[in-house]
Amino acid sequence: MGLLGFGGVLPWARRVIVDERRWLDDREFAELLGFCQVLPGPNVVNLAVIVGARTHGVTGALIAVSGILLVPVGLLLLIATFYASVASDVLVQNAIAGASAAAAGLIIGTALRLLIHARPSARGLLVGGAAFLTVGVLKWPLLWVIAVLVPVAIIAEWRAASAR
Amino acid sequence: MAGGERTMSTAEIMVEIAVRFAALSFVAIGGINAIAPEVHRVVVDVEGWMTSAEFAELFALAQLAPGPNAMYVALVGWKVTGVIGALVATIAVCGPSSIVCYAAWQSMDRLRESRLRAVIQRALAPLAIGLILATGYTLARGADRSLGALALTVLATATLAFTRVNPVWVLLVAAVIGAAGFA
Repeated sequence: MGLLGFGGVLPWARRVIVDERRWLDDREFAELLGFCQVLPGPNVVNLAVIVGARTHGVTGALIAVSGILLVPVGLLLLIATFYASVASDVLVQNAIAGASAAAAGLIIGTALRLLIHARPSARGLLVGGAAFLTVGVLKWPLLWVIAVLVPVAIIAEWRAASAR
Repeated sequence: MAGGERTMSTAEIMVEIAVRFAALSFVAIGGINAIAPEVHRVVVDVEGWMTSAEFAELFALAQLAPGPNAMYVALVGWKVTGVIGALVATIAVCGPSSIVCYAAWQSMDRLRESRLRAVIQRALAPLAIGLILATGYTLARGADRSLGALALTVLATATLAFTRVNPVWVLLVAAVIGAAGFA
C-alpha cells in the first residue's frame, strides 16, 4: 500500500484505489475526498484511514496509514541526511535558497488557485482574510484563532443558508 | 520553558513536539500545510530551534521529495532531535486527525445527507484558504533574503496559479537558478 508520488500523492492514490484495485469507483472517491477535506489532517492520510477501515476496520486503517507514511518518511530522512552532509557546499546552499523561495510561491499559488475556484462569498473572504492576517502577519497562536473563527464562520454560514 | 535559561533535554523536547503537534493535528483544517505558520511560530519564534530560513529550506526539501507534502513536519522533528524526532512528529501530527477521521467516517451515513455538513464545508473552505495563504507568506518571509529570491517566489506563485506545470519542475528550475547565484 506504500504509494509514491511527486508533488503530492493524490493523483497516484486515485489511480491505485480506483483504476487498479477497484476499492472505490470514481464517484465514491470524489465523495470521500470531499469528506476528508472537511476534516483536519492530511487529506491523503485521512483517505487511507477510510479505505483501510472499509475493508479491515481499525487494523486496516492502521495498516493503510503506516503504508502511506513509512516509505515516504524513510525516503525523506535519507534525502535530509544526504542534504545535511552537503549543506555546507555553497552551490547546494544557493540551490536550496532558490528552491525554498519557489516553494513559498507554490503555496501562495495554491491558495490563489483555490480562491479562484472557490469564489467565496463576502463572508468567506472576511473569514479567510482574518485567518491570513491573524496567523500569517500577526503570528497569533493558531489554536485561539481556530477556536474563534470556526464557530463564527459556521454560524454565519448557517444563518445565510437559513435565510435563503 | 520558552526562552528559559537552561536548555531542554532531548526527551523534554520530544514531549514538547509530541504535545504541540498533536494539538495542531486536531485543527489542521485544509491539511498540514495550513498549520505551517503555527509550527514556524513554535520552532522558530518561541523555542528558537532553527532560523526562519532553515524552516523554509526544510519545507522546500519536503516538497521536493515524493510522498504526502505534509512531511515537512517529519523534517522539523528530524532537525531538532534526529530520526526519533521525525517519527514522533509524524505520529503526533497524523494520529489525532486520523482518529477524528475514523470516528467521522463511522457516522458518515448520517452526515451524508445532512445540511449541517454542507454548511460546515462552505464555512471552512475560505478559512483553509486563508491559512494556506498565511503559510506561503510565512515561508516567503523566511526564504526571500534577496530580490532574486523574491522574483522566484513571484514567478512560482504565477506558475502555480495560472498554469498546469508540475510543481516539482518549478522547484527544480528554481534550484538551478539559485545554484547559478541568482537567489
